[in-house]
Amino acid sequence: MATTTASITVSSGDLTGDALSLSTTATLTKAGSATGLDQTSGVARKFFATAQTAYNLIAAADYTADKAHKVYIKNTSTSNSEYVTVELSASPNLSIGRLYGGDWMFIPYDGNNDIDIDTSDVNMTVEYLVIYEA
Amino acid sequence: MASVRVTLGISSADVLTTALGLNVATTLTADSGTMIRAKVADTSGAGSGITVYKANDKDTSAYVYVNNLATEFEDYIYIYNDTDTDASVAKIAGGQFAFIPVAVDKTFKAYGTKVNQLIEYGVFGMDDPSNTLG
Repeated sequence: MATTTASITVSSGDLTGDALSLSTTATLTKAGSATGLDQTSGVARKFFATAQTAYNLIAAADYTADKAHKVYIKNTSTSNSEYVTVELSASPNLSIGRLYGGDWMFIPYDGNNDIDIDTSDVNMTVEYLVIYEA
Repeated sequence: MASVRVTLGISSADVLTTALGLNVATTLTADSGTMIRAKVADTSGAGSGITVYKANDKDTSAYVYVNNLATEFEDYIYIYNDTDTDASVAKIAGGQFAFIPVAVDKTFKAYGTKVNQLIEYGVFGMDDPSNTLG
């Protein structure tokens, strides 16, 4: 059994009158179980020479539906104006949100819909990781 | 103008044959934000869930953090896009969290497996002064 943990820290010294600092850690386990997620796509990067529309980054067919998979996606651009729109495949696609340069997201993924992306500019790179179960 | 720093670490010594250690950070520009602990009264969507992000509350980009405080893995929190036909965005198990840059012009709500599940959620970004939460 593998053990994978995810930790997040949200902090700000100037958003509020007193400093904001929040940290939490989760052990990533299989659906309905205390057993750890035991498979991973590995950390991957994909370079896009041209702007993309509804590019299928993560295919639901590769993952068992209704499980407790986890997905991390990052826009590696350093430009604040270059963004990646992350979408759940549907008709039409459902926009989750935009990752501007340097932004990332970490979400649970049930494997029911493809995850597609649009890229706003040429020569953009997206980094992603799926941690999953059979 | 304030900034919020968000870091994510994903680590495992045994999900791969070599150690997995992914650490990313992003510094968000924000002039407003919330960090709220609340009960989720509803157990179905259809527009009745608790609002974790109201459409157009933020300008350009909005970042939503949701932590499911339930101790039972099976007590899920469901995040859905209330603007677009209640489409499901994430299913967060007890004890786990998500960090999602959301589409600023959509309303996102949450419901739980059980009534009155506790969540902690935060929203950060640049305020759109033409819209209020009321």
